[in-house]
Amino acid sequence: MENLNFEATKYTPEIKLDATSGIISLVGKSYPENTFEFYKPMMEWLENYFEENAQDVTTVNMEIIYFNSSSSKLFFDFFDLLDEAKDDNTIKINWIYDEENESAEEAGEDFVEDFEDLDIELVTK
Amino acid sequence: MSDDRERRKAERAERREKERASTTNDRREEESNQEENKLVGEIDELKITFNMTIDKLAKDIKRQDKIMSRADKRQRKEYDELQDRLVEVTALQESQKKLMDSFIELIAGAIDAKSKYTGGHCIRVPELSMMLVKEASNSDEEPFKEFKLESEDELRELNIASLLHDCGKVTTPEYIVDKATKLETIYNRIHEVRTRFEVIHRDLTIEALEKKLAGEDVSTVDAWLEVEHKKLVEEYEILAIANVGGEYMKDESKEKIREIASRTWVRNFDDTLGLAHEEKQRVLLEKSETPAVEQLLSDKKRHIIEREYFDYEEYERFGFKTKVPENLYDLGELTNICISAGTLTYEDRFKIQEHVVMSIKMLEQLPFPENLKNVPLYAGSHHETLIGTGYPRQLSAEDMSIPARVMAIADVFEALTASDRPYKEPKTLSASVKILSFMAKDKHLDPDLFKLFLSSGIYKEYAKDRLKPEQIDEVDISQYL
Ligand SMILES: [Fe+2]
Ligand SMILES: [Fe+2]
Repeated sequence: MENLNFEATKYTPEIKLDATSGIISLVGKSYPENTFEFYKPMMEWLENYFEENAQDVTTVNMEIIYFNSSSSKLFFDFFDLLDEAKDDNTIKINWIYDEENESAEEAGEDFVEDFEDLDIELVTK
Repeated sequence: MSDDRERRKAERAERREKERASTTNDRREEESNQEENKLVGEIDELKITFNMTIDKLAKDIKRQDKIMSRADKRQRKEYDELQDRLVEVTALQESQKKLMDSFIELIAGAIDAKSKYTGGHCIRVPELSMMLVKEASNSDEEPFKEFKLESEDELRELNIASLLHDCGKVTTPEYIVDKATKLETIYNRIHEVRTRFEVIHRDLTIEALEKKLAGEDVSTVDAWLEVEHKKLVEEYEILAIANVGGEYMKDESKEKIREIASRTWVRNFDDTLGLAHEEKQRVLLEKSETPAVEQLLSDKKRHIIEREYFDYEEYERFGFKTKVPENLYDLGELTNICISAGTLTYEDRFKIQEHVVMSIKMLEQLPFPENLKNVPLYAGSHHETLIGTGYPRQLSAEDMSIPARVMAIADVFEALTASDRPYKEPKTLSASVKILSFMAKDKHLDPDLFKLFLSSGIYKEYAKDRLKPEQIDEVDISQYL
């Protein structure tokens, strides 16, 4: 399975989807013009990955500094996808944020609350 | 009999009919039961799906709510941060603007302080140009009807240009800026000292001769000496007056000077001693053995200071048109004493004019923001005219914007009326306006702005502020309007 990488832009985060190491990382800001279009390749890649290519342990590192509301909607969908995949896979999620960044912290807490069965760890930098 | 048959037949038919009906009913009942069960199943299934959908919807709504309220909160926070940042940036911008303005004033003050020739010129020209440009902007009369200053920035642009218009003067040698007499230059006084030695040398010789010639007719010798001395004194006076450069020097005067200059004297001392390397090299261009017969005044090779390096390509690239003299300076005694008007040689005049070239080059190096981008242009055209006779770009009317024309008038009027220049008597207000009127007539200055300058009363207002009481006289402006 091919890895998928997106460079960060002014409005979108850096995305690294590595099927070989099983490490998925999103770093940066998220204000895409069309959020669902933008993340579609990532979501499709993930579905494909969990269907037949998943590693024993999958690690998700998310470090999203600023994001718009459609991005947080998408992140819920993203966690839904992980939630479905968790029964057959070991998934470890790190929600990384700067101590000073209250919004990022709150978003992380929301995900923990909504996805009790997922292994989400809030990590301060 | 047939009635019976008929009845039985009817009874059978009825029974059959009943039987048939009863089987159909059973079947129908059975079918209906089956359908009912299926329906219930479907309904149950639907119920489950429905509940799931409702659950999901409820969850989604809850999520959506959370997302939106979080987003609102984030937005408010970002908005607050932006507001705070804006306040910070505005304050920073303001303090930077103040710093920049102070820097500019400091530079203008430094140029003024550098030379007594400019006095308070750089600080006062902006006052005049601000007054005049505002007047032009407010005027609804032609040709200023279309000219409107749109913002504070445009005013600031001209103010900065006015403050910095002569900034190139920091590069002009002081002895040129301040050259008050024709023979003035940076001078090694060893020459003066040597001349005194020459005089003592001769006095000693004369004393010896006097002793020897004790027996001659005294009155004849005295009469002769008196004539010769008188002639010498007169010749010196002619030279001395010419040195000041107060009036135009006619060809006859120049001829007379040359005649005086041809007097000779004998030099007994080595004139290459006591000189630094550069001057020594120049002096050695001529033979220097003693005793030597020297002219009273002369042009020698040593008087020419060559131009070492000049970037003609850059000069052209900037659009400068003023002709560049071959040599940097000409210190020739005869050349200088014979300067027709003023005290500057061709080379000196270029050196003086070069201050605008330097102003432009210096100002164009500065990264002025968009709203101040005309500063180099305004500052750089203060010595231009409307007919291509100015310097350094020899611009004409179509290249001269109103602010640039305003600057040119302000520059001249300040210089004319200034009372803080050691080389000239302060002019009266009426005399200054008269000179301005000649320049306007010759299209060296803008005639319409000149008229506005008078009709608005700016000349008077400025005079009250900046001229000495004895300079302020009545000006009949009607003759100029
Ligand atoms: Fe000037
Ligand atoms: Fe000036």
